[in-house]
Amino acid sequence: MPYLGSEDVVKELKKALCNPHIQADRPRYRNVIQRVIRHMTQGVDMSSIFMEMVKASATVDIVQKKLVYLYMCTYAPLKPDLALLAINTLCKDCSDPNPMVRGLALRSMCGLRMPGVQEYIQQPILNGLRDKASYVRRVAVLGCAKMYNLHGDSEVDGALVNELYSLLRDQDPIVVVNCLRALEEILKHEGGVVINKPIAHHLLNRMPDLDQWGQAEVLGFLLRYQPRSEEELFAILNLLDSSLQSSSPAVVMAATKLFLVLAKEFPHVQTDVLVRVKGPLLTACSSESRELCFAALCHVRRILRSLPGHFSSHYKKFFCSYSEPHYIKLQKVEVLCELVNDENVQQVLEELRDYCTDVSADLAQAAIFAIGGIARTYTDQCVQILTELLVLRQEHITSAVVQTFRNLVWLCPQCTEAVCRALPGCEENIQDSEGKQALIWLLGVHGETIPNAPYVLEDFVESVKAETFPAVKMELLTALLRLFLSRPAECQDMLGRLLYYCIEEEKDMAVRDRGLFYYRLLLTGIDEVKRILCSPKSDPSLGLLEDQAERPVSSWVSEFNTLVPMYSKACWAAISSLQVSESRGLEAMGTGVLSTSGSLVSENKEELQPLSDSGSFLLVPNGQLTAEQFEKTWLSLEVAHQEVLPWQGVAHPDTIQTALQMVNIQPIALSKAGVQPWKAYLSAQDGAGCLFLTELLLDPEHSQVHLSVKQSQDKTEALNSFISVLKTVIGTIVDIKS
Amino acid sequence: MIGGLFIYNHKGEVLISRVYRDDIGRNAVDAFRVNVIHARQQVRSPVTNIARTSFFHVKRSNIWLAAVTKQNVNAAMVFEFLYKMCDVMAAYFGKISEENIKNNFVLIYELLDEILDFGYPQNSETGALKTFITQQGIKSQLTKEEQSQITSQVTGQIGWRREGIKYRRNELFLDVLESVNLLMSPQGQVLSAHVSGRVVMKSYLSGMPECKFGMNDKIVIEKQGKGTADETGKSGKQSIAIDDCTFHQCVRLSKFDSERSISFIPPDGEFELMRYRTTKDIILPFRVIPLVREVGRTKLEVKVVIKSNFKPSLLAQKIEVRIPTPLNTSGVQVICMKGKAKYKASENAIVWKIKRMAGMKESQISAEIELLPTNDKKKWARPPISMNFEVPFAPSGLKVRYLKVFEPKLNYSDHDVIKWVRYIGRSGIYETRC
Repeated sequence: MPYLGSEDVVKELKKALCNPHIQADRPRYRNVIQRVIRHMTQGVDMSSIFMEMVKASATVDIVQKKLVYLYMCTYAPLKPDLALLAINTLCKDCSDPNPMVRGLALRSMCGLRMPGVQEYIQQPILNGLRDKASYVRRVAVLGCAKMYNLHGDSEVDGALVNELYSLLRDQDPIVVVNCLRALEEILKHEGGVVINKPIAHHLLNRMPDLDQWGQAEVLGFLLRYQPRSEEELFAILNLLDSSLQSSSPAVVMAATKLFLVLAKEFPHVQTDVLVRVKGPLLTACSSESRELCFAALCHVRRILRSLPGHFSSHYKKFFCSYSEPHYIKLQKVEVLCELVNDENVQQVLEELRDYCTDVSADLAQAAIFAIGGIARTYTDQCVQILTELLVLRQEHITSAVVQTFRNLVWLCPQCTEAVCRALPGCEENIQDSEGKQALIWLLGVHGETIPNAPYVLEDFVESVKAETFPAVKMELLTALLRLFLSRPAECQDMLGRLLYYCIEEEKDMAVRDRGLFYYRLLLTGIDEVKRILCSPKSDPSLGLLEDQAERPVSSWVSEFNTLVPMYSKACWAAISSLQVSESRGLEAMGTGVLSTSGSLVSENKEELQPLSDSGSFLLVPNGQLTAEQFEKTWLSLEVAHQEVLPWQGVAHPDTIQTALQMVNIQPIALSKAGVQPWKAYLSAQDGAGCLFLTELLLDPEHSQVHLSVKQSQDKTEALNSFISVLKTVIGTIVDIKS
Repeated sequence: MIGGLFIYNHKGEVLISRVYRDDIGRNAVDAFRVNVIHARQQVRSPVTNIARTSFFHVKRSNIWLAAVTKQNVNAAMVFEFLYKMCDVMAAYFGKISEENIKNNFVLIYELLDEILDFGYPQNSETGALKTFITQQGIKSQLTKEEQSQITSQVTGQIGWRREGIKYRRNELFLDVLESVNLLMSPQGQVLSAHVSGRVVMKSYLSGMPECKFGMNDKIVIEKQGKGTADETGKSGKQSIAIDDCTFHQCVRLSKFDSERSISFIPPDGEFELMRYRTTKDIILPFRVIPLVREVGRTKLEVKVVIKSNFKPSLLAQKIEVRIPTPLNTSGVQVICMKGKAKYKASENAIVWKIKRMAGMKESQISAEIELLPTNDKKKWARPPISMNFEVPFAPSGLKVRYLKVFEPKLNYSDHDVIKWVRYIGRSGIYETRC
């Protein structure tokens, strides 16, 4: 937000900074510097007075120093040559007798983001690590991480890493936590800081000394530790028990996650933990800190997926208050919908019905959809409530109700009759695209039981020219054709008119093509049309599938206490897919050498060897394909085959790699273990020179792996053989793991 | 890890911006303003994702505080940190307002420099921070003694208390602060009610005192009252069931688990000893009885009775009843027996204020609301009647039974300590539907 006349301001400040009278008057001098910082905050470019600011850093006034250092850290990347001038002052401050000054100088020095600063900061950091004041050590430890971040590609300094590992035993708790953070960043490419048994137990013993941030973070690092025995596991759980009662929600959440992960082999312990955190979670859900409340509600929804009855007796805690913010109300409605059982269904439905008439259209619609969700189990009650809502003749309510009805008749055919009785009259109160589509679909599929269906559709046909949504027109075409099959006399005329309009006057290509398609279909004769259009009108099995949502705790535990539950599923998928495509190039480069030893591999050797020999289909080794070539070929080919296979747990890249190499399938790029989503790209070649390119995409939520294969030559038989080989390998890996 | 912290005023102007990590650019400041502060619709979530960057925000009056990160972080921690940040600022300069932030912006930059380094939370205890960041900011040279204080404060055996504290008068203050929340149906049925409470202690004690705190927790009393059945029956009435409680770091949890006793060495000055929540046998200080009658299409008659439900000797204060009115209200006539009532057109509500009210009393307000005829088919959704008040007792029924202080090394005993206990019950969300 550069202000008008900002140049004048800069000029004026520059003059003031140079003025010896002001320089002599300490409060005035500081005041000018404050104004510089104020403008910097507002986004005015103040880099041109760098020189004057550097001069101002030579002062005994510590506040002025802080301000100047803040300024320098902001603009150093723009003025690297001038920033070097400041280093001298900073170096001198690093040996000041006052630890606060030493720490401040070291922190600012490490914060100068410019090339070449490394050689100047290395020695002060090393001195800082051995400083007797813990304040300086804290700064120095994080300084190591900053230094490494400036030169991400440089070699990891082994001596420094060792020094940091030894500082884990420092007596100051913040130094300990900072060491973990620094090591994690420095060793990022090697999988982060290593938590072995002595370190894990040392950290566990230090837990009580740490502040809430430290505790929450250490609990996160401990996720990496795998106890050697059951005894050790339970000893750890006992030690950490107090963390579950911490007054800090962040610590409670982190502890919960750690418990759930450590106890993954003991489902009863997991359930036990979830029972114990029920109290803290409910407290957070009714907390006055709205944002925390939101976070807690998101996690409650996760837990409900695995333990549907977990919060049922506390359903009243999730009733909305009028003054709560919108986002909390929406989450509460979702929670209510998920914790319904025989005892509370009546009360929950009454409450949700109240929300359906809320002033906020969003909340009203959310409540209606929630009732729709409950209707899968308690159909009659819900359909009645929804039908009563139609009387209100509100646009947003009617639209949502009709959409709910459409989804409902598909899953619960027993309510079709009631829905059909409720529909007449709805058309007057629907304006939006989604609602119209739902209504037209219902009229088309169940038109024979709704007396006025053709007349309603006729109104839509009459006003089709004014219709703005192409999707509605498409739906109208299909519905009218369907209705024509059951009530030909009433529909023939308008079907003709609609087809004529769509083919001759419609400008949207998709709609026109659909019209043409139906027209040609009709030419082939009515029997053919019936065969194609009269599909089943409901599919209750789909509902059954969705109801079996009781997923094991381990399916979501890795996402617990991260951002994943906070974002909607679709939103998160979009974010993470973008991140993957960005990092794919990196990964392809990074997966050069991986160790090939391991006891698992030698076991499956016998199993796999004969397999690749059997049959006429043989894969030959092709080591020449590089990552770039692979990517080029991959993009140029069409997917030849797609399949979904079962999968359990995380992927271990080296096991998979070795197993695949046994059968001459070459991994091109694999994600690291535990990365979400986990992906792998493989290539293989058969004797005839046909290339097979494969993508594996792990979907831990559904315990599946998605398989897509591309082929350079079009040979179905070879493709089938290749897939069967691949499936056997994957099957074997899954067997070993389980 | 937090990549940057921004503070905006209600217009979206940046008051404070501090970036900790390279991956957060200057454009992030503007992205949040455009997408969240200037967005037309309601805030959809306290966590917003813009271009793969997550923005966590909290609002204090009309000030926005936003933490920015590109990592998949622990959301509870970031929010907690923002709350902590607000607490620290409040401890330095009081209310978080645009004016205060502008006047203290140097101080805030100093604080941000200390409590976060490279995006990682560092020491955030106000007590410790106040030893080296002073409000005047002039304290440039620390004395030797003060320097050693800073180090001992964080490196000593007990992180939250330094040694060698001395007071001429040993004194402590206990505040039981509760907020009572209610959701009541029009028929007078309690839909949901809970009390969230805090015990805040302010201690001015010499040395390393060992404290023991006792309250009328049901489990403790049942344990002690095993003697005769008669006794348990008696004390059972006065004891309360706590659903969930958490303690300050200084409380020895092992002792709480085994004996249910709360013992600790307190930090010096003010701190929150415990936080708890109860849902059973809550004393609802007020009952609101609404009567709404629609007289034709252009008139509403509203009568609201409030009854105070506590000892007649106690006085409730700052009572405010908010009766919502329809959007098409054209005029309101109000008659109330006590206090003052006003129709506030901008807030669509009648606000009825009573300064003080004793227990076991009743008061009523009646209003005639004239409506403009509209052709809007929408029915008025009738928002609930909400209430604010302050009462001098704990609605949960919690009572402090004792707080004993032992300091074996110094020569003062439990009797020499002056102790003050105060109970304050405030309304949280206190709504009666009508």
